[in-house]
Amino acid sequence: MAKAFEPAVITANDLVEGTAVFLTPEGWSADVSKAMVALTPEQAEEFDALGQRHVQENVVVEPYRVVVLLDSGKPVPKLRREQIRAAGAPTFAYGKAA
Amino acid sequence: MYRYDEFDHKFVAERAAEFRDQVRRRLAGHLTEAEFKPLRLMNGLYLQLHAYMLRVAIPYGTLGSRQMRQLAMIAEKWDRGYGHFTTRQNIQFNWPKLKDVPDIIDALAEVEMHAIQTSGNCIRNTTSDPFSAVAPEEVEDPRITAELIRQWSSLHPEFTFLGRKFKIAVTGSEEDRTALKLHDIGVQVVKRDGEVGYRVMVGGGMGRTPMIAKELRDFVPRQELLPYLEAALRVYNLHGRRDNKYKARIKILVHELGIDAYREQVEAEFASMDREAIAAPAEEVERIRAYFQPPKLSERASESPLIERMKSADPSFAKWIERNTFPHKIPGYVAATVSLKPIGGAPGDATAEQMRVIADLAEIYSRDEMRVTHEQNIVLPHVAIDDLYRLYKGLSGIGLDAPNKGLVTDIIACPGLDYCALATARSIPVAQRIAERFADNDRQAAIGPLQIKISGCINACGHHHVGHIGILGLDKAGVESYQITLGGDATETAALGERTGPGFSYDEVPEVIETIIDTYLDLREHPRETFLQAYRRTGMAPFKEALYAAA
Repeated sequence: MAKAFEPAVITANDLVEGTAVFLTPEGWSADVSKAMVALTPEQAEEFDALGQRHVQENVVVEPYRVVVLLDSGKPVPKLRREQIRAAGAPTFAYGKAA
Repeated sequence: MYRYDEFDHKFVAERAAEFRDQVRRRLAGHLTEAEFKPLRLMNGLYLQLHAYMLRVAIPYGTLGSRQMRQLAMIAEKWDRGYGHFTTRQNIQFNWPKLKDVPDIIDALAEVEMHAIQTSGNCIRNTTSDPFSAVAPEEVEDPRITAELIRQWSSLHPEFTFLGRKFKIAVTGSEEDRTALKLHDIGVQVVKRDGEVGYRVMVGGGMGRTPMIAKELRDFVPRQELLPYLEAALRVYNLHGRRDNKYKARIKILVHELGIDAYREQVEAEFASMDREAIAAPAEEVERIRAYFQPPKLSERASESPLIERMKSADPSFAKWIERNTFPHKIPGYVAATVSLKPIGGAPGDATAEQMRVIADLAEIYSRDEMRVTHEQNIVLPHVAIDDLYRLYKGLSGIGLDAPNKGLVTDIIACPGLDYCALATARSIPVAQRIAERFADNDRQAAIGPLQIKISGCINACGHHHVGHIGILGLDKAGVESYQITLGGDATETAALGERTGPGFSYDEVPEVIETIIDTYLDLREHPRETFLQAYRRTGMAPFKEALYAAA
């Protein structure tokens, strides 16, 4: 049986900055809560294509889908890896002298 | 220390210019990501979980103060004010922007550094003993050989596209501080009947299929080392399994062929090749050797009344001396380990300010020299005993005075899921929580030598297979799960750890480590029986029972 579709957003890395970004109606943003959520497989494919177009246009690199849960309508990544990535930083106070 | 000659300068400058042009073309859209990716990787530039990451080579872990200050400058100007020293004796910057990387590479070249061959299926940075030119029992400074291998392996036309990456370590001592037997090739400088040559080990490695290296040859004459290595790599490269990257490391080849069959092929290749054409010219070896003349240290009294007084007056200083200094071949000196494992810190991280202070202290007290260790600490190799208190005070001013070298909080940890795109679980926060639990210095000293090594995925950058206690973080259906191994050993008595049983959750790990350590403290025969000795005596059973019987 095919796996049930789970809502997803599109993420990639900004070509110049390298940081994690998410596809929103206004382009790419570091804020996952602003991301467009694909609620059907067709929508997800449409967003994938948009991501690929921005790769061709040298805006972002290595786009992929991130499965999300909806918290009051806002997308939150389901997996810890993607939660850490969406937070844009390690889970501890980094870069400080202990 | 080795200094670049004209050839080295030209080579690095040309590569820097070439990469600058490649980045320019990428940003202008003339190169696609598919075209650019292999180019950036050849220059040590990865794309990680959050950002680009630049891995800079520190040949055999040796650094001068000028270089360390430049790393601090790079961290501040183009990154987020810190860097991460790795188990490969390199440094990684976690947040560079693509547009800045050409400037960073130029800044590195200014101080005779680069990021070439820190990625890709080539011969990586050759690592060595952090106590080179220090250890009393050393046959000779292994960095002479490591530098020779660096030159031979840099852009070696035959070995630039191997089946997989290839790591070589060199030690000059019987007592191994390089994890020699966990390398694709391990070279040990030995003396036989008065002649200095090499013992060559092959096929060690960690990752998903850990193996201890086997002896390939017990003695290779000095002038034949490069031809011999060339033969060993050629046989590997020709067999090279490019169909399956999990079977492409030399350890798999040696395991599948058997060491005897592999050796036979290497010896046949070695016998038929033009050895003289490959061997380094004697004058080049002498040129390199001249750079590694031991510093002119005049003998001093090995007892310092001043230091003895300060030890009595300042017990933390006494503890630091006890744990973090290592005997030097010249009386009156020691090598001092600067622990990059302060309680609550990220193992191996140093801020730009800390790098500058270490550089200043090395300039004043250690002949301008530092070594990065595979245990992610920094060694100041040539410190007069009389200077130790001043050095210690300098370090304590920036939080780098932890007296924990080789103790339970001196934890190796890979970047893990907090940084790494390959990771399956976090490692640094696990290390921090264990360190916090064992923060008390007296308790650490009472436990004695104990190495915990943590990897956030099966690739084993955190050396978990050879930790006395190894911790491997995995993903089990979206949840971090940690497998524990016991009895691993990275030294000349190398051994792979054995799994305790089912894994534990992220929250359980500190308690699990405490249970293991309490079990050891209960069963050790006397306070000098180390964790590893006790484990070897009793085996897994008592630990297993303590961990799982109650459940």
